[in-house]
Amino acid sequence: MSPQAIDLVQGTLEVLILKTLALGPMHGWGIGQRIQQVSQDVLRVGQGSLYPALHRLEASGWIRSEWGPSENNRRSRYYSLTRAGRKHLDSELKNWGRLSSAIALVLAQ
Amino acid sequence: MNWLRDVLRRAQIRLFGDGTIDELDEELRDHIARQVEHNIAKGMTIDEARRQATIEFGGVEQAREEVREQRQVVVFETLSHDVRYALRGLRRSPAFAMATILTFAIGIGATTAVFSVVDRILFRSLPYRDAWQLVSIGVVAPVEPQEFMLGYSYYEWQDHQTPFTAITSWTGVNTCDLTENNALRLSCASVEANFLPTFGVTPLLGRNFSADEDRPNAPKVALISYGLWSSRFGRDPSIINRTISIDGNPVRVIGVLDNYFQLPTLDTADILAPEGIDPASQRTANPGRVRWAFARLKPGITIAQANAAMEPLFQQMLETVPPQFRKEVHLRVRSLRDRQMHDARLAAWILLVAVISVLLIACANVASLLLARAAGRQREMAVRSALGASRARLIRQTLIESLLLALIATTVGCIIAAVLIRIFVVVAPEGIPFLANAHIDTRVILFAVFASLLCGTLFGVAPALQRPNAESLAGHSNLAVPHSKLRQILVMTQIAVSLMLLAGAGLLLRSLWNLQSQPLGMHTNRLVTSAIDLGTERYPKPEQQMAFFLQLESRLRKMPGVNAVGLSDSLPPGGWRHDQIYAGIRVEGKPLPAEGTGGVIVWRWVTPDYFRALGIPIVRGRPFREDDRDSSDHFIIVSQSFAQRAFRGEDPIGRRLQPGLEGPWYTIVGVAAEVKNSGLSGESEPEYYRLRRNRAEDWQHSARLTVQTAIASATTEQWIRSQVALLDPTLPVESETMTQRVSKLADRPRFEAALLGLFASIGVLLAAMGIYGVIAFLVTQRTPEIGLRMAVGATRRDILWLFGMQGFRMIAVGGVIGVLLALAGLRALSSFLFGVRAADPLSFLIVCLLLIAVATLAIWIPARKATQVEPMQALRNE
Repeated sequence: MSPQAIDLVQGTLEVLILKTLALGPMHGWGIGQRIQQVSQDVLRVGQGSLYPALHRLEASGWIRSEWGPSENNRRSRYYSLTRAGRKHLDSELKNWGRLSSAIALVLAQ
Repeated sequence: MNWLRDVLRRAQIRLFGDGTIDELDEELRDHIARQVEHNIAKGMTIDEARRQATIEFGGVEQAREEVREQRQVVVFETLSHDVRYALRGLRRSPAFAMATILTFAIGIGATTAVFSVVDRILFRSLPYRDAWQLVSIGVVAPVEPQEFMLGYSYYEWQDHQTPFTAITSWTGVNTCDLTENNALRLSCASVEANFLPTFGVTPLLGRNFSADEDRPNAPKVALISYGLWSSRFGRDPSIINRTISIDGNPVRVIGVLDNYFQLPTLDTADILAPEGIDPASQRTANPGRVRWAFARLKPGITIAQANAAMEPLFQQMLETVPPQFRKEVHLRVRSLRDRQMHDARLAAWILLVAVISVLLIACANVASLLLARAAGRQREMAVRSALGASRARLIRQTLIESLLLALIATTVGCIIAAVLIRIFVVVAPEGIPFLANAHIDTRVILFAVFASLLCGTLFGVAPALQRPNAESLAGHSNLAVPHSKLRQILVMTQIAVSLMLLAGAGLLLRSLWNLQSQPLGMHTNRLVTSAIDLGTERYPKPEQQMAFFLQLESRLRKMPGVNAVGLSDSLPPGGWRHDQIYAGIRVEGKPLPAEGTGGVIVWRWVTPDYFRALGIPIVRGRPFREDDRDSSDHFIIVSQSFAQRAFRGEDPIGRRLQPGLEGPWYTIVGVAAEVKNSGLSGESEPEYYRLRRNRAEDWQHSARLTVQTAIASATTEQWIRSQVALLDPTLPVESETMTQRVSKLADRPRFEAALLGLFASIGVLLAAMGIYGVIAFLVTQRTPEIGLRMAVGATRRDILWLFGMQGFRMIAVGGVIGVLLALAGLRALSSFLFGVRAADPLSFLIVCLLLIAVATLAIWIPARKATQVEPMQALRNE
């Protein structure tokens, strides 16, 4: 547990999930784990917000889920990106790019 | 197809939530398990790993709740909450709930029942391939109401016609016997080889017969009906190629017809056999055999085009018709459905319109009730709105309540419909096609559900669309005003529609009254009639037949109290009788009519007592005498209209007729008064009576017995039965009184009048409820105003007047619209009316008065309540 862990800005979790799933189908735990790893433990996704977000995304049609077999004879729910989700991700990434460079400009002054 | 799956999945999530809670649990368990494994991999002990994982997860229950929130299960929870709330609301105002549900249920029940009955007549497609292409073709001429064809011209038409892909015919149904162990009386239809293919019907088993098997001396083959196959042969598939015996002849069964097969004329047939007619001999025969022809239109050809295309062939055929008859022969091509349903179709439409009118009135009432309820609940809605209920929620709440009402009403309505159909089937006279098979099927239920949902949604939501405002909280209502305007319009519509219904029912009732009270030209009191059929098997010779009937006559005459015993072959006023064209009668000293058939002439075989038994007066000359029966001469009595037709005022007594253009001459001995002879509503035809002498040639195997007595009819019927039994105990006797016989003829109009009367009464009752509701509502709404008016000096009469005028304005406007509607719409009834015009002023007047009386009562009751308002109390309410 890293002391520098910060809370996510509202709405960014969804983009992070979409971005993570862009690499390939993954289960909920894996998504959380991956976000944590890639952000080098800075971003930690609480499960209480991960699953609602996953279901929200699914209801919006950006991701779909499928039950599949996993190691140890369990069933896991694998999430993957839909075509609409990929588009959404692209536009969100653009937005993010604009926003973050704008913020960087302001903060750099 | 991934996108499709996604869409479905999303719809599923929105509608039903994301699978089950179990799935979510499984997912969360999987998550924790992975976390535990991860922790162990990092070097924790199992217990520690598990503890950490659970802590990190942060509470399964919370995650579950949040996901559930996402999944919109909420919709369903609030839905069930809304339903419970609506039910509670309905239970709190049982009068409103009962009134709405009953009104609704009656409307739906009546509509559903009638729709079930008319469905087969009007809408259901006939059980043939592309049934809309099928037509009935032929010529119409006096005597035979249905279009028919004669042998010679039929083959000409078949060869040279252009508008049809196929043309086929049959020669009708005859009785035949299955002469095997347990002999069975069957009905056999004779059809052409291309009959089934033309209708697009294939046998269930086996095959249709070929053209070769339809030749005169071909070995006999037949198809049997599904009914016969089941009842007689136990659905044994080996029936094919088995030989059965029909009327003593071996017949090979080559096919079994499907269960749904029906003949185009709706006759029933157990056996379908080739006609075995030689076309070559028919082509030269004139006129050849009577047959009924059907054809299949080529694609894109309309019935009118087919009619035009057949015209040249028809003209050619006319050449073979004696010139004087040509004017009365016409070509007819009409759809098979028209041929099957005759006048049932129009009756069915009228019934359907009537019942939909009732549904309309019922819907208007329901709407009115819902509007009133909405107005009464303004305060409640305002409170809920102020407490934070969203507008959508309020609309949904109202919608759910009205849908709930509709649902309950549909259930009750279906029960009412089932009962009504039972009653129809029992009460209805014969001759309404498919009535016995009428039942509520899925389509009909869907119709009812659709109708009620439409009604409920439309009127349930309308009031909710208006946003409750804060003012309602204070109890000042300004919403009531537009609502009550709408309700008044609804009431006017109800009055207009129910006036039209009432007028229709009134016309039918008057017509029925006319039918039943018209002079028949004979007595019906204490007159018993019996039909006796000796059959040709046991009484093959006319001598035996005559001997039986004469013996029976002399036995019956000896009975005490018997005044007259008549024997004839048919009876007025309706049913089968001999008829012929006037041009087929030679009148001594008169030329045959140069042109035209001269119309239909009715005739019967009678004994002398026939006139006494039926009380038919002889107005000129003398009746038949007993000693005429032994004469070798032929005697005849003609009706007044016949005498007028043939002799134009000359004295007919002693003149002679030759009824068949050849054969013996008959001497006219008397002129009888007119008797109704073409049913109750038909125009009576001229008639003559041949004397049945004590000679075998004048007798047949069946006769109608008429016994006029001074004693009770039941006793007479018993006597007749016992006397017949003494002569031949195996003979069946069907007896009824003449009164019953006549009454049976009016069954159909009575049924129609009763149905329309029933619907009209329901309509008026509902309309009255509507008026009552509106006025009562206005009175409640305006109670403070009444108090104020009275406080400043208005008398009770002024108040009564105030509300009375409001009510009468609705009645006047609705009534005028109703009369106009009725004048326009009731013309469709014309062909059902007897002795009364569709625009009968008296009926309209009575109907209007009746409606005004009912409406006045409906106004008066609540308006009087308004006058009993205590001014002080009313004002304090403010």
